[in-house]
Amino acid sequence: MPMNVGGVLGGLSPLKPTATPVKSGEAAGADFGAALKQAVGALGQLGQQADASTMKLAAGQPIDIHEVMLNTEQASLGFSMALQVRNKLVDAYQEIMRMSV
Amino acid sequence: MGLFSSMRISGSALTAQRLRMDVIAGNIANADTTRVNGQRQPYQRQQVVFEPLAQVPGAAGGGLQVAAIVRDEAPAREVYDPAHPDADPTTGMVAYPNVDTTTEMTDMLSASRAYEANVTVLNSIKQMAQRSIDLGRA
Repeated sequence: MPMNVGGVLGGLSPLKPTATPVKSGEAAGADFGAALKQAVGALGQLGQQADASTMKLAAGQPIDIHEVMLNTEQASLGFSMALQVRNKLVDAYQEIMRMSV
Repeated sequence: MGLFSSMRISGSALTAQRLRMDVIAGNIANADTTRVNGQRQPYQRQQVVFEPLAQVPGAAGGGLQVAAIVRDEAPAREVYDPAHPDADPTTGMVAYPNVDTTTEMTDMLSASRAYEANVTVLNSIKQMAQRSIDLGRA
């Protein structure tokens, strides 16, 4: 992943060792950006699902409690996953910023 | 997503066990019902039939669903009670439902334990996911 991150940051990929022969920095960056966008979209969808089922439960509509809990748990797991990815991104950025030139 | 599909499997089992619980509750509630739809007729005990969720051959796991809710056709329990409004006018026998409360109670325990088992599976799945997210934590 750090390699792809380099692609996103722009022009930094040559500084990273290329373990696997992948596409050029430009193409990899576009791919990673798309993947990120998709992941964030999926996360938003999970959140909306959790919201909708919680609202249903609160409004007294027939919905199983475990359904609500499952949806909220999914949203929570997805969010912590996204948080970790974001932390990794920030870590990589700071690592690069700390580099003495 | 792989993780959420395994959560869905356990979730479907939870839904099915809840439905089974509903049916058992109905049976116990109607253990002494002698009239159905205004007719002199004992309530018939209901049972759920489980089946695995339709799945793609070769794919792992399938989940659970209720195939049908069927009536128990066992004969009614006949009790001599001529004073009962629903007693047979000639014989004085009242037909009570074929519900055995003891059987229902054991069924209820079984449903409740099965529910717990599936909740435990869900917790394990959740913990596994949590652990793998912790991988990213330095």
